[in-house]
Amino acid sequence: MTAPDSSQLLDHLRADLAEVMGDDVLLAVDITPDTRFDDDLALESIEFVALGEILRERYGDRVDFPGFIAGMELDEIMSLTVGRLLAYISDRLAESATV
Amino acid sequence: MSRYLFVVPPLTGHINPAAAVARELTARGHRVAWAGRAATLAGLGAEVYDAGDPALDAALRDSHERRLGLRGAGALKFLWEEFIVPLARTSRPGVEAAADAFEPDVIVADQQALAGALVARRRGLTWVTSATTSGEFTDPYAAMPKVDDWIRERMAGLCRDAGVAETTDLRFSDDLVLAFTSAALLGSDREFPGHYAFVGPALTARPDHTGFPWSALDPGRRRVLVSLGTVNGDGGARFFDAVVRAAEPLDVQLIVAAPAGLLPDPPPYVLTRPHLPQLDLLSHVDAVVCHAGHNTVCEALAHGLPLVVAPIRDDQPVIAGQVTAAGAGVRVRFARCGPDELRTALVSVLSEPAYRVAAGRVRESFLAAGGAPAAADHLEKIS
Repeated sequence: MTAPDSSQLLDHLRADLAEVMGDDVLLAVDITPDTRFDDDLALESIEFVALGEILRERYGDRVDFPGFIAGMELDEIMSLTVGRLLAYISDRLAESATV
Repeated sequence: MSRYLFVVPPLTGHINPAAAVARELTARGHRVAWAGRAATLAGLGAEVYDAGDPALDAALRDSHERRLGLRGAGALKFLWEEFIVPLARTSRPGVEAAADAFEPDVIVADQQALAGALVARRRGLTWVTSATTSGEFTDPYAAMPKVDDWIRERMAGLCRDAGVAETTDLRFSDDLVLAFTSAALLGSDREFPGHYAFVGPALTARPDHTGFPWSALDPGRRRVLVSLGTVNGDGGARFFDAVVRAAEPLDVQLIVAAPAGLLPDPPPYVLTRPHLPQLDLLSHVDAVVCHAGHNTVCEALAHGLPLVVAPIRDDQPVIAGQVTAAGAGVRVRFARCGPDELRTALVSVLSEPAYRVAAGRVRESFLAAGGAPAAADHLEKIS
């Protein structure tokens, strides 16, 4: 199985965020790797939880979003970007592909 | 007879429950004094020691708009770096002076007025935590251990400067923690230590200076109170607009606490004022829409009213979770709920009896918890 490339991962995440936040988010925000969860998306705490669930459904246990957040400092959580999450997902998928 | 010094932040929502307890203590013959921002405490008609700081007041005024744009981790950082820590630093000399002059037996420190805890520890005085929200009780940072560490570092810095053991958790006294909630609302499986007292909300009549037009309440419709605390700005305007549109086909009257100008030209089923006599109004409404601020939630539940909660920041997501777990309300997303989602939520809490029954259960738990007299009993026992 080949891991999805970065533009596929971004498309998947756009779809996942639309599922969590409602389709309107795709009209309101051009979601790029620089998009910030805090400032640009104003993701709410229950939406963070929902996003973690959706990522687990899509990628399985190898993408552990709560664990990803748990390793972060306060400032990192504040400045978390779509690109940072995509890099994490990409790393995890590559790691599990080589096992 | 004992002497109690109450140390509070300049926040009405934190002062009101403490004031109810202070009045109870005074009625029992004890001496009570306050340390905090004098102008905010002047209305209490009590002995006040000024621990305010004009520079901090000015900084908070300047940062107010910026704060309204913050959520989640950003709001947490603001709360500690720009409010709790500077408040502790700037108020400590005033609290020390109050302790010198008043010679209290017990210091009752609000959970956000950490100077009270520091001064008590420095002097070996009995220290009581007054927790006007239960947001800190269910380990809200468990999923973010480094955030928890960061908060503990902020407290350790304050302790170091005050010459107090750095491991002291200034949010939780080892002697007595008064929490103005009940186990039924808190809903935690955690076993709390014996010195945690869940006394329920301490509500007392507040004088109504709002000139509210009571005759404008519509006796023919169900009524819903809408309040977002002191929030304003774009997010508030969007939310109010969505609530008004949600209610249009529902044959309800909305009574909305909204800053002047935010709902210009309201439709006939909307009664809006900048300030409402909230506690008095709760006896005349059928449901409450709010931001899940702890005081508003507890006041609504004390009246057995179901809620629609739209948490914005700070402890509000935690409190909103408590409301839904208790079955007493529906949670919506503050930033994104539209009229349809809000209408569904309103119809649910107004027409499905389970929400009102659950709110009634919380109300019963509050009554059993005892309120201000129970808090005073606990304070008498440890003094």
